[in-house]
Amino acid sequence: MQKVLRKRILRDLRENLFRYLALGALIVLCMYLIISLIGTADTIIIGSENAAGKNKLEDGQFTLFVPLTEAEKTGLTDKGITLEEQFYLDYELEDESTVRVFRDREKINLLETVEGSHPKSETEVVLERRYAEEHNLESGSKITIGGKEFTVSGIGCTPDYDAPYKNFTDSSVSSSSFGTAFVTKEAYEILLSEENSIKAEEYVYSYLLNGELTNEELKEELKEFKVNAEEIDDIYFREYWEEQTAEKTELEEGVTKLADGSKELYDGLSELSEIQTGLAPLDEGIVSARDGSKELSEGVKELQSETDELFEEYFEPEIANMTQFLAVKDNPRAKAAANDQVINKYGGIIAGGIILVLFAYVISVFVVYGIEKENSTIGALYALGVKKNELIVHYLCLPVMITFIAGAIGCALGFGAIGGSTIMGNCYSYFSILQMGAVYPPYLLVYGLVLPPVISAIVNWLVIRKKLNKPALQMLRNEQKAGRMSHVRLGKLGFIATFRIRQMLREARTSLTVVGGMFISLLILMLGLNCYTMCHYISTANKADTKFEYLYTYKYPEKEVPEGGYEAFSKAMKKENLGYNLDVTILGITEENPFFDVELSYNKSEVVISSAMAEKYNISKGEVLVLEDEEAEQYHAFTVKDITEYSTGFYVFMEIGNMREMFKESDTYYNQVFADKELDIETGRLYGVTTKKGIEKSADVFIAQMKPMITMMVVFAVLIFAVVMYLMMKVMIDRSTFHISMVKVFGYRTGEIKKLYLNGNFYVIAVGALLAIPLAKKCMDMIYPAMVSNVACAMRLTFSWQMYTGIYVAILAVYLIINELLVGRLKKVNLAEVLKNRE
Amino acid sequence: MYLEVKEMKKSYGEGGSYIQVLKGITTGVEKGEMCVIEGTSGSGKSTFLNCIGGLDLLDSGSILVDGKEIVGMKPDKLSDYRRDNLGFIFQFYNLIPNLTVRENIQVCEYLSKSPLNMEELLETLGLTEHQNKFPSQLSGGQQQRCAIARALIKNPKLLLCDEPTGALDSKTSRDILALLEKVNEKYGTTMLIVTHNNSIKNMVHKVIRIKDGQISKEYYNETRVPAMELEDL
Repeated sequence: MQKVLRKRILRDLRENLFRYLALGALIVLCMYLIISLIGTADTIIIGSENAAGKNKLEDGQFTLFVPLTEAEKTGLTDKGITLEEQFYLDYELEDESTVRVFRDREKINLLETVEGSHPKSETEVVLERRYAEEHNLESGSKITIGGKEFTVSGIGCTPDYDAPYKNFTDSSVSSSSFGTAFVTKEAYEILLSEENSIKAEEYVYSYLLNGELTNEELKEELKEFKVNAEEIDDIYFREYWEEQTAEKTELEEGVTKLADGSKELYDGLSELSEIQTGLAPLDEGIVSARDGSKELSEGVKELQSETDELFEEYFEPEIANMTQFLAVKDNPRAKAAANDQVINKYGGIIAGGIILVLFAYVISVFVVYGIEKENSTIGALYALGVKKNELIVHYLCLPVMITFIAGAIGCALGFGAIGGSTIMGNCYSYFSILQMGAVYPPYLLVYGLVLPPVISAIVNWLVIRKKLNKPALQMLRNEQKAGRMSHVRLGKLGFIATFRIRQMLREARTSLTVVGGMFISLLILMLGLNCYTMCHYISTANKADTKFEYLYTYKYPEKEVPEGGYEAFSKAMKKENLGYNLDVTILGITEENPFFDVELSYNKSEVVISSAMAEKYNISKGEVLVLEDEEAEQYHAFTVKDITEYSTGFYVFMEIGNMREMFKESDTYYNQVFADKELDIETGRLYGVTTKKGIEKSADVFIAQMKPMITMMVVFAVLIFAVVMYLMMKVMIDRSTFHISMVKVFGYRTGEIKKLYLNGNFYVIAVGALLAIPLAKKCMDMIYPAMVSNVACAMRLTFSWQMYTGIYVAILAVYLIINELLVGRLKKVNLAEVLKNRE
Repeated sequence: MYLEVKEMKKSYGEGGSYIQVLKGITTGVEKGEMCVIEGTSGSGKSTFLNCIGGLDLLDSGSILVDGKEIVGMKPDKLSDYRRDNLGFIFQFYNLIPNLTVRENIQVCEYLSKSPLNMEELLETLGLTEHQNKFPSQLSGGQQQRCAIARALIKNPKLLLCDEPTGALDSKTSRDILALLEKVNEKYGTTMLIVTHNNSIKNMVHKVIRIKDGQISKEYYNETRVPAMELEDL
């Protein structure tokens, strides 16, 4: 039986070739994109893992005030860990970009060149790949760093700068304005000695735990390392330290002066007592005064010694050396590309499944239509003894075959050379990663080859089974059981309205498929548009919200705030967002600071947060905000008093005095200065300088980066919607061919037939879009934050009414175009159709 | 003459499969006449009806309806011709299943500028009580009555009936024919009835017998048998 029926499959395929080709092409495209997406994600995840292993990615890093002593280093390495100095110097180049210069590495975070070779002489440098690309530099190019000309000996990547963020708090990578460079030890020493860097040398150590210690244990060890401030000879540190200890010195000097004075008094009175005046009362008085001054002198001496003891106890010259400890899992620069792909991978797997269900359902609509057409034949076959299961298998053959072939082609394309090139291209042009060989794990092959036919078989089986469940006689008579919906009473509506409603009810399944297709297309569209909205918002709002021109971050603040600058106290904290521990800055500012529109609270527990933070963490006014101080291993809880419009980062604003008190700093302490002009500050005092220009430059990175992806998603969404709608509306016409032919016989013109059979869909689309647009937006707004949970930036996903209108109009436009295309189908309906139905 | 057909020729296929279905038919029907086209299967009677209905194109010849030549009309004009002049009744009713009786009739009412009164027509055809039913809730006879009402609502001058009783039992057939008779009398509608039933010819004014694409016999009944008295339906 199957053998005979099988012959029909090819005939059916030939008969509806366009329909199946269109759907097959869409499945090919879908599977190609999904396999590419997942394959690329796996390539990057596995490739990053391999590169990390091969190039010995650190287990973590810590930053110190002053370098470790040899004894301290030995103490640590004796515990079994591997340690390497990864000190660096930042230089501003002629094009105002910053290059961070390291010594070439030997043990950890090894530099791998993608072209050229490691630096061998004092005049050679290896540039990080993305920076080199952005600046059109290649092996043999010349570059001047810190006034010294270097020849680029190679281009390469290091695993600790996968995402070359200049600062950990940066929300985007901007390789046009920042990159890393690697020179020989000798070249590094020369650069260091020439003191042309824009900030002091950073003492960063990277480590490998080698399974001997845990991060926590190492951190505890490092906490014990103190540095004697008196022994640090950096002039800026000395000045800073003297300012910090000025009050203690003043008190010490006062007590010494008092001791000296009291001793002088005693010495003087002793001398005077030796002179006998003859006046007994006077002599006795002098002796008494001498004894008293002696007591005073001894008392003051005691005071001095007690004070010294007190100072020794409470004013230790030894301070904690560690300023930052960062395990690799919390390092946003390391494995950033892989982390970015994890969500793509799982998102892709789920999205692929959903889209396949949609396509399988679309196919099932065709099959059901075919079954309805062949009802009497099926009835005859039943009457002749053919079993339902045999027919189910027959009707499943074509959908399974189409989805399998289309899935396999899509899969092959995805696995092929062109697969994933866009996504990989996006990744390569954002992250500083090595070229990775495509990785396609076996599960992906199963996903691409098995999932489409299996989903198709399940969906079609569920639909077909019901259709073939009728008794033989009912099928023989071709009795179409109308649903309750079809028989609903419509009251006194006009004829056209009544007809359209009846037609809509009759085609409810098809209409629902169109709306379902629209919803899935809208989800994809919303993903693209959310991405666009977020990137566009970052691009515009970051520029608008950055009111200062310069932000100086101090390592050693001056006593006085430089003229023209506004002091601030900034402290980095952490806050977890969907598994990612992101940096949050508490910023203590003065009321006079003109660069932030913040109404500060003088209540220590109340803070104002930036809108970027409120959006990312979904925090509202009045809520309690808990931040983690990783260094001090403390949590700080605040009540959010207000949210201020500030998109540039995750900021918690406090009154600077309160902040100083909270973090036990002096009344004049600050570590940042904001200014609207360049200030004359010695670079040796600084951790870094952030300029408005730099912020503006990196603000555009996201949108430039995501453009191809956004375009691809929008095009894909429109394609799915258009093809599904076209096929479904065509099915509607096909199902009504007979009656369309009949009304043509009655004298209906094409325009009138269109009005009856097609234009009713306008309302389905119009109402469907009205419901599906907000629903898809709502769904994507819930999903999207999870997809970018590792990106530290504002999450403004609000669409303007113009955007909503645009989407709505675009849907209607696609509908109208397809409607017009289908007029051709209406014209093709032959009058003879109706004449066939006769004896 | 309301309908005038001259040298009507129609063929299908090419080469070995070429077949001439109508071989130069010339005939006519007066206004208000009921005319039966009879013939065996494959004689060309349905093709004849389809050509008059503007559903099929002639190879040559002329068809004048109410003085207007319909041969050579463009599809749009043919549509207008059918809309303005014709009513169709099919063997298998061809009602739209998801429309009620009333709504099915409205399909054609919509096409007419001066349709008949719906309520009166429903009453005439005995459909008033069934007007809100769907075709699947009706018997064959009721469905055909609905189809007749649909054809009549736009008050056509020419009613083309293709085997109107072909799917009905004899009692229902009689009822339907009586109804057509009543309509003819009441509205003066010219009717062309294609049938292979031998009895129906007795109730009409004129009979045209087609055999192998040609008129083999054409005559007027001197005495008409009322539909309700027809036998062997």
